[in-house]
Amino acid sequence: MHHIYLHLLSKIMKKRTYLGLLLALLLNSLYTQAQVSKAEMQVSGLTCSMCQLATQKAVKTLDFVADIQPDLNSANFVITFKKDKIVNPDLLAKKVKGAGFSISKLVLTYTFANLKIANGTSFTYGAAQFSFLNVAAKTLDGATKITVLDKDFVSAGTYKQLASKGGESYRTGKMGNTRNYHIGL
Amino acid sequence: MKRFAIALVLLLGGTSAYTQELYVATEPASNMPQNALGIRLTQEAVFSNGYRAKIIPEAMIGLSKNLMIHQSIFLNNMQQSGFKANGGAFYAKYRFLSIDSTHSHFRGAVYAGYAAVNGVINAREISLDGDNTGWQGGVVFTQLLHKLALSGSLSYTKALNNKKGNLLPADFGSESLGYTLSSGLLVYPKTYRNYRQTNVNVYLEFLGKSNLGKNEHVLDAAPALQFIINSNFRIDVSQRVQLWSSMTRNQKNLLLLRLEYNLFNVL
Repeated sequence: MHHIYLHLLSKIMKKRTYLGLLLALLLNSLYTQAQVSKAEMQVSGLTCSMCQLATQKAVKTLDFVADIQPDLNSANFVITFKKDKIVNPDLLAKKVKGAGFSISKLVLTYTFANLKIANGTSFTYGAAQFSFLNVAAKTLDGATKITVLDKDFVSAGTYKQLASKGGESYRTGKMGNTRNYHIGL
Repeated sequence: MKRFAIALVLLLGGTSAYTQELYVATEPASNMPQNALGIRLTQEAVFSNGYRAKIIPEAMIGLSKNLMIHQSIFLNNMQQSGFKANGGAFYAKYRFLSIDSTHSHFRGAVYAGYAAVNGVINAREISLDGDNTGWQGGVVFTQLLHKLALSGSLSYTKALNNKKGNLLPADFGSESLGYTLSSGLLVYPKTYRNYRQTNVNVYLEFLGKSNLGKNEHVLDAAPALQFIINSNFRIDVSQRVQLWSSMTRNQKNLLLLRLEYNLFNVL
């Protein structure tokens, strides 16, 4: 199902017509509903319950967030997303930064439908593209945990390490004009 | 020595990784969250010559993740009987450095402030906390080391004539250098269960000033006890102790009481 959809989407996108774009957006919104159900987020720099509450309240303002629960001793949060909304990881990072901190780990629970993956395999979710980085070839089916590896989602040290080996798309986080997230398992 | 080192590691690395940098006498290099509003009411009292006090209502706003501002009003009973407003102050802080890792961070910020005050200038100590009209610029760095939060600042203050024709006496210094060293420690709870748990923090701060070209110096110790209730309401109590002074001052051994309430995502 998923590869047929991707194939269709890329064909439509190639035509670059308004109608095509509209169709693509419509298809996209239909297909991607409820694919990201949950996230485990680790935040760096948190030092007090007041800071943690501020972070939690900032993330809660995002319209795709249904619920956020803190683990007060570990600086981790478990976020549940709304079923009918597209999850935007960049907006999560922006809210955490606004509260004065930064994300050091973001693990999303994504529901796959028999997707064959290998290093570099990409799929589209919302308006963004997700590409697998440093993974072994396998087939993903059902709810699977994926870790976002881009800048602002990993520690500064990890980013440096990955950027030194990664390609252009990892360093810029973009593929053409499209946001390109890099993910691991 | 080895035993001492182990004890120190155990003490600093204790059960909770949380530390506190919500200093009472100084500001940390960290900022308040973007779109947050804080309301403060501070009383600074000295009892050496009857009860003389300042009451300072203050609003604090997190404009962006790196920029925050304070606006305060000074009320006092020092130059008349009964409390009367005699000025106000504006303060802005910009965070330019932020290095995070889990449960620790290093932050750097620059700040600037301006105060306008009416009263007669009768002390050589320059204070933008309701005594002098003037401006200030400074830099502050805050580092978390396990359970201990350390912060240091360096500032320059320029005193001007006070408003309503109250001139800065010609023989008084008009420039001072300020330096502070602050430490903070979370003492309760050892393990968090929920946001409603009251946090208890202790602080010890050292506050120094020198009037430039005057050989006038002052050094205070400011121990403080802090309660954070419901993760948004803060009560501070601090009794300053003058360690050394070679200048006349209004702030000697002051007792500080402060209430602060924080609202998140209001702007």
